[in-house]
Amino acid sequence: MAVDMAMPILVVDDYKTMIRIIRNLLKQLGFDNVDEAADGEEAFQKMQSNGGFGLVISDWNMEPMTGYELLKQVRGDEKLKGTPFIMITAESKTENVIAAKRAGVNNYIVKPFNAATLKQKISSVIGDF
Amino acid sequence: MPATDVAAKIRGALNDIRAADLDDPRLMEVLSLAENLVDSMKMFFGSLDNSIHGEFLHIAQYIARTRDEIAALRPNDIRESRLPTAGAELEAVVNDTENATETIMSLAESIMELEPTSLEDYKAQVDAKMMGMIEACSFQDITGQRVSKVVSTLTHIEERVARFSSVMGVLDADEETGDEKEQWRKDNLLNGPQLDGPETGQNAIDALFDGDITDEQLGQDDIDNMFD
Repeated sequence: MAVDMAMPILVVDDYKTMIRIIRNLLKQLGFDNVDEAADGEEAFQKMQSNGGFGLVISDWNMEPMTGYELLKQVRGDEKLKGTPFIMITAESKTENVIAAKRAGVNNYIVKPFNAATLKQKISSVIGDF
Repeated sequence: MPATDVAAKIRGALNDIRAADLDDPRLMEVLSLAENLVDSMKMFFGSLDNSIHGEFLHIAQYIARTRDEIAALRPNDIRESRLPTAGAELEAVVNDTENATETIMSLAESIMELEPTSLEDYKAQVDAKMMGMIEACSFQDITGQRVSKVVSTLTHIEERVARFSSVMGVLDADEETGDEKEQWRKDNLLNGPQLDGPETGQNAIDALFDGDITDEQLGQDDIDNMFD
């Protein structure tokens, strides 16, 4: 099935520059419908009120709600639990990767990353585009 | 009054009572016991006096030495001057980096949005914007110098604290566990970036998500930690 390039994507990061970088990369990949949130709490509210997103790309280290907490909340929510979720983070300890996988993350990218890695991970989660 | 004088006075009083030529044997027994008691007290207070004096002297010397060592730490200089300066330098590093990133990203975005009228026009516009990016990269020299100053401050504090710890024979107390913020960070596995690059590389993560390796193969120690 073809990937819907107009699907809404939520980028969650407390660092505005990183949101801007990911936005630009997504735009280069052909995704223009990008929303943003500064932490897990804001992201979860947006997900609930906007009726869900086709993909969530989230940082881990944010306050007051981390990306890891957001992931667990999403997976615990009946309506949102199927949302594809990619973690992009500097948290590279093995315990983090395993914890995120067990919490249900679809893929995991360690910072710093490049456009090719982002494209590859998005493809592995939502299909080739 | 010193303990030896007190004992001498009591002994004198006892001798006076004895000289009074009392016949009551029970009273003489009590006096004899009192005399023994006074001798014992004299010995006790005598030794106590010397040991207490020695202990207090030792404590006084220790306090004086501690005060000198704390003064050598120059805590007021650290608190009022060095740490605020280091904090300001780090803030400036963050701002410089942010400003440079903003400049470089804006220029890059504007290049992607160029609508040139000709190849020459395109080259001229790209060259101008590229030059702006190169100029913005000069922030690295300044931030490098700022970070060096912060490192110098930390080294200064480290040396003094290490000397204080060594001279005073300080032992580390148990780690405090009551810090809510720290507990929150532990609960959320907030370890931050690793110093020598990612602990788990992207290739290992890919292998895990592709099913080529298992959680256990990725890191048994970390799995153990999750269940400890």
